[in-house]
Amino acid sequence: MDMLRITGLRKRFGSKEVLRGLDLAVPEHSVFGFLGKNGAGKTTTMKTVLGLLRADGGEIAVNGEKVLYGQTATNRWIGYLPDVPEFYPFMTAAEYLRFCGEISGMAKADIGPRSRELLALVGLQNEKHRIRGYSRGMKQRLGIAQALLNRPKLLICDEPTSALDPVGRKEILDLLLTVREQTTVLFSTHILSDVERICTDVAFLDQGTAKIQGTLNEIRARYRSEEYLVETDSEAGLQALQTAFPALHKIGKNQLSFREKDCPAADVLRFLADQAVPLLRFERAEPSLESLFMEVVEQ
Amino acid sequence: MKALGAFLRKELMEQVRSGRLLILGILFILFGIMNPAVAKLTPRLMEMLADSMTQIGMTVFPVPVTALDAWAQFFKNIPMALIAFVLLESGVFTREYQTGTLVLSLTKGLDRPKVVIAKAAVLLALWTACYWLCAGITWGYSAYYWDNSAARHLVLSTVCWWAFGVWVLALTVLFSVMARANTGVLAGVGGAVLLCVLLGMLPTAGKYLPTRLMDGTALIYGTAEAGAYTAPLLVAAATAAACFAASIPIFNRKQL
Ligand SMILES: Nc1ncnc2c1ncn2[C@@H]1O[C@H](COP(=O)(O)OP(=O)(O)O)[C@@H](O)[C@H]1O
Ligand SMILES: [Mg+2]
Repeated sequence: MDMLRITGLRKRFGSKEVLRGLDLAVPEHSVFGFLGKNGAGKTTTMKTVLGLLRADGGEIAVNGEKVLYGQTATNRWIGYLPDVPEFYPFMTAAEYLRFCGEISGMAKADIGPRSRELLALVGLQNEKHRIRGYSRGMKQRLGIAQALLNRPKLLICDEPTSALDPVGRKEILDLLLTVREQTTVLFSTHILSDVERICTDVAFLDQGTAKIQGTLNEIRARYRSEEYLVETDSEAGLQALQTAFPALHKIGKNQLSFREKDCPAADVLRFLADQAVPLLRFERAEPSLESLFMEVVEQ
Repeated sequence: MKALGAFLRKELMEQVRSGRLLILGILFILFGIMNPAVAKLTPRLMEMLADSMTQIGMTVFPVPVTALDAWAQFFKNIPMALIAFVLLESGVFTREYQTGTLVLSLTKGLDRPKVVIAKAAVLLALWTACYWLCAGITWGYSAYYWDNSAARHLVLSTVCWWAFGVWVLALTVLFSVMARANTGVLAGVGGAVLLCVLLGMLPTAGKYLPTRLMDGTALIYGTAEAGAYTAPLLVAAATAAACFAASIPIFNRKQL
């Protein structure tokens, strides 16, 4: 089942149409990367899912339940980490989590142990200072803790890594991977390597719609370029190959590349086997998300 | 109910830890002490001035100071205390809009009306405590030095001014759920009170407007009838209640 399903979502600010019929399906227990350039409408989408913004059209269902603007009922399934999380600066992390537990109606006996568990998870268990003095990374980690407090089925993180240095980023990504066992994760980013590192599913948001969407493996398969790379052990083998298949072109010492549509990979493999050409490498070139992304954005 | 309690506790914690409670406490205590102190010191000042006055040909007669003077001071100074109160508390909603702290609470399932109720309740409680602390101190000193019974309608006049403060707080809450920044709140409240003062200059309207409640001096000196304050009290109560009530649906529709 889809934990979050968005159909035909539209949203405009004044004359500016930010979302133009966005469709999105976030499967349960996925780590869903929501990619898009700055200003693409990622935050807008998330806030609409949380009922904080009124949609101009379309439907949103969280865990099968329809989202209504201004209502908070569906938010009981959701844990949310905003792009710039701000907490009451006069509280300590433990006090803040207790406050969150109380306003979200958690059982009193549950709040204490759950807070301690989460503070340990995000590495803030020994932090006794008030939030006022926290670094961005610490706030981001506290943000994840507060979002997970009432065991949400869907964790929504808005660019959790954007403002952080590489170490902080790795910590947050590792955290998101860890919590995957407990919840479905939807996070937005404009950093492709974040997605490649931890996501199972991905969608590109561009021009107000989701341009590519699916599991990372599917997308890679669908858009996989048909390029192959062959590297032989010796010059002789290479020459034999080139004579047999003129479409192969040399790209380096003992290295050839070719496209499936110019000459079928199966034929090349058959020839290599028949002639017993000593082989170092035969591989399909992986398209990077980056080249995919650029392709989508430039269309 | 638990959520409301938690939010109330958070509001109080904020008042305490941000230092606002301390500042307000000191301020209102100072005003409370100042009122009788100024009254007490006035004759001395007059004596000192008397010499130089006679030199320029004016005669100053010593006037006996009574509790009336202390209460006149009270009604003269309390507007400043209220202004300070509103200035300090004008950000009670807008600070949360601007930092985004409220968004997180709301996405956790906190009902919007509870936010308005908790914040309004804390403001009212704080004003009530500060105001009566100030009035109580003035009363205590006046009782010690003179006799409070010199002031007529003392209870009514102080209650009227407290009610005026409540009316201003209702405006503060109303403008807080509409504005985005505390400057908007201050402009709204200031504008509304100013409008009321200007309208109050019209003889007929003046009898009914809440700003009339500020004139406690007329009551204690006995130049105004107690009955004249019934209408403005009722008007203030009705408009304050309307402001509080309207704040909830307005806040429900507010885009954060
Ligand atoms: N409250 C608003 N009023 C007007 N325009 C807005 C508002 N919020 C967002 N926008 C515009 O909508 C577009 C999408 O914004 P946003 O969702 O924040 O993008 P992203 O999170 O993908 O960077 C931006 O061009 C932004 O200027
Ligand atoms: Mg954003």
